[in-house]
Amino acid sequence: MKRDGTGFRELAAPVLLVWAGAAASLFFDRYTQYVAALLLVAIMVGVALVILVGLARMITLAAGAMMGLGAYGTAAMMVHLDAPFLVGVAFGTALGALGGLLLGLPATRFRGHHLAMVTMVFQFVVIIVISEWDSLTGGVEGLRMPQATIAGYALKADWEYVVLIAFFAGLSILFAGILIRGHFGKALKAMSATEVGAEAFGINVAGYQVMAFVISSAIIALGGALFAPEIRILDPDQYGILTSVLMLAYPIVGGMTSLWGGIIGGGLLRAGPELLRVVDEYQELVYAAIVIAVIVFLPGGLVELYSRVAAALGVKRTKAPPPDRPSAPIRAAALGRVAGTHPLSDPKGLVALKTAGVSKSYGSLKAVSAVDLTVAAGSLHGLIGPNGAGKTTFFNTISGFIPADEGTIEIFGRRMADEPARTRIRFGVARTFQNVAVYRTLSCLDNVIIGLGENDVVASLWHSIDEAVGGRASRGRRELALNALDAVGLANVADEAAGSLSLGNQRRVEIARAIVSKPKLILLDEPVSGVGAEEEERLKELLRSLNRELGVTMFVIEHNIRFVVDLCERLSVMSNGRIIAEGAPAEVIKSADVRRVYFGEG
Amino acid sequence: MLIDFLFVLVGGLKFGAIYALGAIGLVVIHKATKTVNFAHGALIMLGAYVTFFLLELFKLPYWAVYVLAPTLVGAVSAFLEFAILRPIRRADMFIVIIATVFLAIALQEAVRLPYDVEMLAVAAVLEGDPLFLGDLIITQESMWIIAGAFLFAILGALLFAQAGLGRSMRAMAQNIRGAQLCGYSVDGVYVFAWFVGGGLAGLAGVFSAPSLGVSPELMVATIVPAFVAAVIGGFDSLRGAILGGLILGILENVAAAYISAGLKSAISFLILFAVLMIRPEGLFPEGRVRKV
Repeated sequence: MKRDGTGFRELAAPVLLVWAGAAASLFFDRYTQYVAALLLVAIMVGVALVILVGLARMITLAAGAMMGLGAYGTAAMMVHLDAPFLVGVAFGTALGALGGLLLGLPATRFRGHHLAMVTMVFQFVVIIVISEWDSLTGGVEGLRMPQATIAGYALKADWEYVVLIAFFAGLSILFAGILIRGHFGKALKAMSATEVGAEAFGINVAGYQVMAFVISSAIIALGGALFAPEIRILDPDQYGILTSVLMLAYPIVGGMTSLWGGIIGGGLLRAGPELLRVVDEYQELVYAAIVIAVIVFLPGGLVELYSRVAAALGVKRTKAPPPDRPSAPIRAAALGRVAGTHPLSDPKGLVALKTAGVSKSYGSLKAVSAVDLTVAAGSLHGLIGPNGAGKTTFFNTISGFIPADEGTIEIFGRRMADEPARTRIRFGVARTFQNVAVYRTLSCLDNVIIGLGENDVVASLWHSIDEAVGGRASRGRRELALNALDAVGLANVADEAAGSLSLGNQRRVEIARAIVSKPKLILLDEPVSGVGAEEEERLKELLRSLNRELGVTMFVIEHNIRFVVDLCERLSVMSNGRIIAEGAPAEVIKSADVRRVYFGEG
Repeated sequence: MLIDFLFVLVGGLKFGAIYALGAIGLVVIHKATKTVNFAHGALIMLGAYVTFFLLELFKLPYWAVYVLAPTLVGAVSAFLEFAILRPIRRADMFIVIIATVFLAIALQEAVRLPYDVEMLAVAAVLEGDPLFLGDLIITQESMWIIAGAFLFAILGALLFAQAGLGRSMRAMAQNIRGAQLCGYSVDGVYVFAWFVGGGLAGLAGVFSAPSLGVSPELMVATIVPAFVAAVIGGFDSLRGAILGGLILGILENVAAAYISAGLKSAISFLILFAVLMIRPEGLFPEGRVRKV
């Protein structure tokens, strides 16, 4: 039987490899075992930072603080409450998760350098608190870690810590691997490709960012907690800004977007200083130089270097990419499968979209002014207008990206009060984008799976686990997505990265992503801008048949008048923020008003 | 009572002036290249080391140091732009920031190579008798730092605002393609902005060498206040950065004198966090951009 899940082998391989390395150290001296324990912790940090830095694209200069929270949390529990070691570790990990939450909540408001500064503030504040709160943490003098015992067994030798840490490192790698390869990681990649495109399909960007902070902080804190007994005397300096910066390098040098990147980066960079004892004085200089060299010459990190070398040596069989050409304009059979056994009930007669008095101003500029518009259910309705007419602003108020100043928007009779864009998908509304917003780094198939809209943060964690074990639900999602891809003629490129396709095919991916959730209303923002005449014709056929077979209502903004007049049953014309004409397309474009504002005649 | 407060105020102004000078360089680079230079503190530190070398080893007079140190640090800064940041200009802003973080580490470690001691001392610029203003005693050194650093900060700001260079930098930061089409050389302006920004950092290093001491720690000790001053000012406002440096210097000293010494290090983080959360555009934003 073919396994559709993420694949146990791919998940188990890194864990087993790390365990094998740890086991090998047991045959060497105590120092080697100590270094092995260090490396295991660094690997945990590496995979944690792949999630936060590599996939969620959040810079953090607070990893050291998180590790400190784990270590001090453990030690404080043991010293002050006589708690057993593992209870201390659990507390320290929870403290790290809490730290991630506290930092993540404000951090999601920022990007780039502001985010780096906010995390730097957190880093320094944690260290100041640890240094000043003498009674709890021993202050700058340090805190002596009590003897760690597990169920009465005292952990003394280095090899015992190697075994203990290896166990938890394996679990962390497995957990991180499930998330990175699973739905959670895909949603993060979708976000970093296009935040707007992600929000439109129900991805709560801020929610995912906070969750990435919490999960990665917890893993880093767990590493700090487990290693605390090996340090013996904790002092705040060990967890300072320099530590944070050095750890930030792990995912960058290893490779930011894969689990292996975190493992390799963490392992090698932590091993470096131990191997380079000879150049002790220049350690950090060499370290910084390596990081800068990787940033400049090897943007994908060592993982990319590996795949380049492997490709050159012909180790990895690279199959030729399939032709980037739609297999057929429409696949009626697939279309039927998308509609499912219960095709949407005939919606004629209902109202799909109704706006009343919608207005939006920017300063003194009234972009949209009191627009009343009704789109009949099941219809193909177009909106045209000259540049600056307010089409895009109006479109964005409907799709929820811009709140209207005044007026009401009803979708299938349901009033959309200031609900954010990401909730539209729940009301059966999907959209496409003028400047295609596919998730470039994800496969076409994964793009469409995200289009299903089941992208709740917590749900995505469950989806990831379900995918890892090849569960029924994720196989079902995959099948739905394949059908939708088939319906737009892209079944042959399902596994290709969406960003590698031609513009016309990226537009098809967007259409597949929009129809897969069986929406009742699709908002199309200039669906043929930038594609050739032949492709325009095919896309028109595709949209028509989708409208016919799925009974889905389509509201189209377009500059291309020939296209929109051909496609649509009804046409509205906008100018200076108002609707100036509406009716059957052929008649509307003949009306004098329209010819005047739109074609500059009369 | 009042005299104590004035004394605290003068101390605050002295550090505030150095912070302002540090922040100005940060703002110049950000305005022109949209890059936030996390290695700026390291450049200030480098300025202090250069001061030490020129003054104590080459026995040059102070006025020569004031010319040479900024020039040298500016040249290093321009070289870093050319050699390291130019190749990654098209990459994500995120990567550029990380690159400057590691440049900071590299510079900090590089200065340890010739002299691996914790702290080097340099003589004060002016060692004459202090000034007596009633009961208030101000050393000539403090006078010079307050007056000199502010003077240079204001000069730098004026130069940037008046010169055609300022205009081309601003044009470029707004629309790099448009500026190129208008015949501005992007490469030239980027290198020059880093030269000017680095030069200002070097100058801040010369001013801070006698009072803050010459040590690798100067990197962190100056980058944070420079950031805070720039953020208070809105990161794109030269006037705001100068005022931000002043405000921070005074608040730090007042907090240390009247609340607790431990608060001095925490106060800059409190301010940074508060401004970012409540008014991320800064207290003195420069000209609002109308968003359409």
